[in-house]
Amino acid sequence: MKKIYNDEENKYSKLLKDLKELPKIKSPDNFEYNLLTRIQNKNFGKMIIERPQFSWAKFLAPSAVVVTTITLFFIFFPASQENNNQLLQQTKPGNNQSVTDKTTQDQIKLNSQQSVSPNQKLQPNSSVLLESNNQTAKQSVRSPFYDSRSIRLDDYISGSNKNQSNTNRGNIVNNGEEPSRYDGFIVSEKPDKKTLERYRAVVDSIKKAQLKADSLKKVQK
Amino acid sequence: MLNKLLTELSDEELIKEYQDNNTPEAYDILVKRYKDPLMNFVYRFVGDRDICTDVVQDTMIKFYLNKDSYRSFAKFSTWIYTIAGNLAKNELKRRRRRIIFSIDNSDDERSPQIEDKMFLAPDKAADGEMRNEIIQKALLKVKPVYREVVILRDIQDLSYEEISEITGLAIGTVKSRINRGRAQLQKLLKHIYRE
Repeated sequence: MKKIYNDEENKYSKLLKDLKELPKIKSPDNFEYNLLTRIQNKNFGKMIIERPQFSWAKFLAPSAVVVTTITLFFIFFPASQENNNQLLQQTKPGNNQSVTDKTTQDQIKLNSQQSVSPNQKLQPNSSVLLESNNQTAKQSVRSPFYDSRSIRLDDYISGSNKNQSNTNRGNIVNNGEEPSRYDGFIVSEKPDKKTLERYRAVVDSIKKAQLKADSLKKVQK
Repeated sequence: MLNKLLTELSDEELIKEYQDNNTPEAYDILVKRYKDPLMNFVYRFVGDRDICTDVVQDTMIKFYLNKDSYRSFAKFSTWIYTIAGNLAKNELKRRRRRIIFSIDNSDDERSPQIEDKMFLAPDKAADGEMRNEIIQKALLKVKPVYREVVILRDIQDLSYEEISEITGLAIGTVKSRINRGRAQLQKLLKHIYRE
């Protein structure tokens, strides 16, 4: 390595010789006098660097901007957030059964089993706890429609759909990547005790009739 | 008597004396010792005598104001050269900005006129004074990052270690920059150094 640099120095020997022979520049005669005068007069020009002082305005201004931005974001874009959450809650596109149909099927299944375990409870929002293979899995029956873009007919008639906004309806234009779904009326029918008992009685009577028919057949044989 | 003793002290001993006892004589001696080497260094770097004087004055003022920022593990010479180098670089930047924003930015101001003189007859170019002037103007055409290390090494005769300390660069980088600077300079002075 040293050799390389020595070779380089040989390469520029003439140049180096000339550089070393350049006349030495000397300071003017009054250099020290001027310097001492400046020091005595405290004429330091820009030599003293003023350190920036802490001020609350400097500290609060950026944080105020951040807080305002976040607040404005939540004020003006609640719809997009709502939409995002809804996408997470959507059922798969193949599942196109109506809420009422599915609820009724679940109810019939429950009735056919006749024995309802304490764990199997009918949830108020059509969510059913099913016990299969000793595992409890929570399955919630969800609407295949975009709730925000659909109108619940019952709510609409009763006038309790005040929270629904039309802002999400416009999002269908923005969300062009996914095929649009059916924007229909949802006739949601919440199961009440009487209906359940009626269905249960029907199923029980059918089963009893079936059992009687079977026993009669056996006697005849 | 005291002055006689002080003059015999090394740079580091003098700065210590100045730091500890605020002895003005120690400061004066250091100024005397370094004003000319710094003038030479800054002049070769900036190329203007008046600006160079101002830069060296500012260096001494900075030394006066910030004497306590010197740490004894470093050599005084490298510390004072670092201050001068930084101030000279700042001055160059300021000048460049002034030239860009100047309304009357003639070509004379923008680039040193070395080309005209480089095409002079060889006998004239060989003339000592003229030759030095051509070299100085060529030096000013070398990129500042290379110019600084070339001046420190080949004009001020500092060691690679000292240059490394002054510039804050690794020794390898210093060496390669020196070589690039020399190559640029040689290229600019090819009319003088004909093989």
